[in-house]
Amino acid sequence: MKRKSLGFYFRIYRKILAQDLKSKMSYRADFIISTIGMIFTNIAGFVSFWILFQNFPSINGWGYYEMLFLYGFSLVSLTPVQCFFDNNWALRNQVYSGDFIKYCFRPINMFFYFQSEVFDIKGLGQFAFGLGTLIYSWNKLGLEFSPLMLLKMIVFLITASLIMIALQNAAAATCFWIQNSFFVLDLVTKFKDYARYPITIFSPVFRFIFTFVIPIAFIAYYPSLVVLRPDEVPILSWISPIVALVFFFLSYKLWMRGAMKYNGTGA
Amino acid sequence: MNIKRCLTLTRAGIIESLQFRLGALVVVAGNLLYLVVIYHLWQAIFASVGTETVNGMTFTDTLIYLVLATALFNFMEMYVVWEMGHAIQTGEITIQLLKPMKYRSYMFWSYSGTAVTQFFFTFLPTFIIVAIVTNGAIPLGLNLLFFVISVMLAISINYSIDFLTGTICLYTESTWGINIMKQVIVLLMSGATIPLAFFPEPLKTIVNYLPFQSIYNAPLSVLLDGNPEPAKLLTTLGIQLFWCVVMNIASRLFWKLSLKRITVNGG
Amino acid sequence: MSNIIEIKNITKEFKVLNRREGLKGSLKDLFSRDYKIVRAVDNISMNIEQGEIVGYLGPNGAGKSTTIKMMTGILEPTSGEILVNDYVPYKNRTRNAQNIGVVFGQRTQLWWALPLVESFKILKDIYGVSDKDYNDMIELYQSLVDIEPLLHKPVRQMSLGQRTLSDILAAFLHNPKIVFLDEPTIGLDVSMKSKIRTLIHALNKEKNTTVILTTHDMGDVDALCRRIVIIDKGKMLYDNDIEHLKGFFGYYRTLKIRVGGDLKQTAEKIRAQLPEFSVSADDEWISILVDEAKSKVMDVLSQLQKSYKIRDMQLEEISTEEVIKKIYEEGVK
Repeated sequence: MKRKSLGFYFRIYRKILAQDLKSKMSYRADFIISTIGMIFTNIAGFVSFWILFQNFPSINGWGYYEMLFLYGFSLVSLTPVQCFFDNNWALRNQVYSGDFIKYCFRPINMFFYFQSEVFDIKGLGQFAFGLGTLIYSWNKLGLEFSPLMLLKMIVFLITASLIMIALQNAAAATCFWIQNSFFVLDLVTKFKDYARYPITIFSPVFRFIFTFVIPIAFIAYYPSLVVLRPDEVPILSWISPIVALVFFFLSYKLWMRGAMKYNGTGA
Repeated sequence: MNIKRCLTLTRAGIIESLQFRLGALVVVAGNLLYLVVIYHLWQAIFASVGTETVNGMTFTDTLIYLVLATALFNFMEMYVVWEMGHAIQTGEITIQLLKPMKYRSYMFWSYSGTAVTQFFFTFLPTFIIVAIVTNGAIPLGLNLLFFVISVMLAISINYSIDFLTGTICLYTESTWGINIMKQVIVLLMSGATIPLAFFPEPLKTIVNYLPFQSIYNAPLSVLLDGNPEPAKLLTTLGIQLFWCVVMNIASRLFWKLSLKRITVNGG
Repeated sequence: MSNIIEIKNITKEFKVLNRREGLKGSLKDLFSRDYKIVRAVDNISMNIEQGEIVGYLGPNGAGKSTTIKMMTGILEPTSGEILVNDYVPYKNRTRNAQNIGVVFGQRTQLWWALPLVESFKILKDIYGVSDKDYNDMIELYQSLVDIEPLLHKPVRQMSLGQRTLSDILAAFLHNPKIVFLDEPTIGLDVSMKSKIRTLIHALNKEKNTTVILTTHDMGDVDALCRRIVIIDKGKMLYDNDIEHLKGFFGYYRTLKIRVGGDLKQTAEKIRAQLPEFSVSADDEWISILVDEAKSKVMDVLSQLQKSYKIRDMQLEEISTEEVIKKIYEEGVK
């Protein structure tokens, strides 16, 4: 039997997604409350931001609108992880209860099968909010707008997304080794809040750590510089797409390795 | 209420959470990382203002406040809403209601074990590290005693709010949305993300009339004040006690009324 | 006929953490680790032919699911060889998965929120089943069970019985060569149990599917399996036809008689008369467990007839359940 093609996975995903959305629509109340919850989270983030800038006009040479741009950028780039990889949150429970085993019996990629089960529609609210913030601050900052700029923006948003997805996968996968991986996942989720700040505020040691060890600077800072400060783009920004791909691949490998190990210990 | 039975639940909870030994390490590591991030962030913030104190808080004060707020959060957050929502959705709640103990107390005492472990394995180490790092910036005197009292009141208020929110799940089926809304509101309004001192005037007044500031802001300001005026201290604790009683009664009442609803509808 | 599964001397060992008891123990566990090696499967060999229904039995923790995990390719044996459908399963997990179906007790593998028919359609795509084969299969299902009311019901709204039934149908949907059923009738009512047994039997006949069945319910075994394999503590205890099983401890049959007078006293006398057999009495019957290797039941009966006036009699074969119980408790001599 030949390897399943990308088209095959795409077809399956579309089918599951369509059905899933249909069934979600039958839980309207849940959908509405979750969306309100999501909006709340975003507004609260925005309010903290606003409160901070009520007291301080700028942070480390970064003005209000520049910070807002970073914030919007991180929100948009976090949408895919919220929409497509939300089942990672359920992983530890499935592993704990033994239900995870069902993913091992199908002739398709386990990681795909697992993630395909949940599409989190709430993420779209976050996307809208982030996009609004991004456009607003883009306007206020008077940044250049051209098709090339837009293309750069899209490429680097995807880059940022991949990094966050990689971090979350890796965090979720820890549950194959330690039972209560919730804390790890929770911690990584907090990273995305730290990602909103420019890396230059850190001391050199931590600048290094947050770039190469725990790559949170890649979630928003490096990719966004390409658009935000096009005159002084560091080399790290340009290589960030490659970094993203590598991290995603590594996190995928870790996840799969964990899944294999899980079977070894038995349920 | 049989205290021995309660303590048995505490003990079981401690043993259970110790099984998750790596979890404790991750929490401490996470707190340290958070410390690094906010240390640099606020250093940059204070540096760009150029004055020693902002809104009556020094850099060190802000730092201690925020780190300990997180540490407090770690051991106060019991994920009660989450658990209740889950129990309600799966119908496990009917089994728990059959236990020879009130559900509210059962939940509280089951979680008390985790809280105790969290206190010793995350709060205490974080506290000690902060005390050492900030080199005596935390006053160590009678305020520690008042801090402990204040924290106990805070735990009770926090639990009541959680239980109240969890009860809403009986009506909505949407755990995630309800939980996230509660968490966002509590964390922002209690001053856990940004100290209340930094809030702009009208917002500060509003927040002061809400119960949330009693959870984080109250114990932390008690701790940071080495020589409190008795009147101020009494007011803080008095307001906490007031909210403790009010929220307690409210959550019990709401639960009782809601429970009638399930029994009528037959689960 | 050819072997679809060939297992030669497989062994599987696990490293497990020794946990200590109590509060003190938990604290100690926090700082030190103490491992021991557990052999879950110990040198097991067997061959299974295409189309067989094999009952795979053993007490809890015997190593049944470990063996099945090795056969399905999600676990690699520590040593030994295993071939399923000519492939080494753990080296070709996805290829192997294409040819097997699995049902794990009460854990559904269907999409929780979707109506059954949508789950079927997704499975059809995943396994690459052609439209014709798919329609034929649905037609076959329709002739076997009344699936119409199930097809449009979301899985989460189904009763346990309906869910199990759906899971079994889903496992057979891509016409796999082998189907593994782990306790398929657990927790079901009598009528659902029998429905499911009939279904499995029919699908096995119709499609010549090999079925490996683990269960604690001897009703499943009696209704479905000709061959049974028993393991305990990882070791193979028995692998043969179910008929041979009854003779495994000698051919035992229970002779029950009813006589006048006090049964307890009479039983005492019989016990003295037939010291080689176990004799017991309840309010109605005196039971004598006869080992046919020692003497025939008819001889015992005629011997008893000489001394007592027998009003009524019954002859009972030992049940599969009793033999299995005996094997679990005493092992193999």
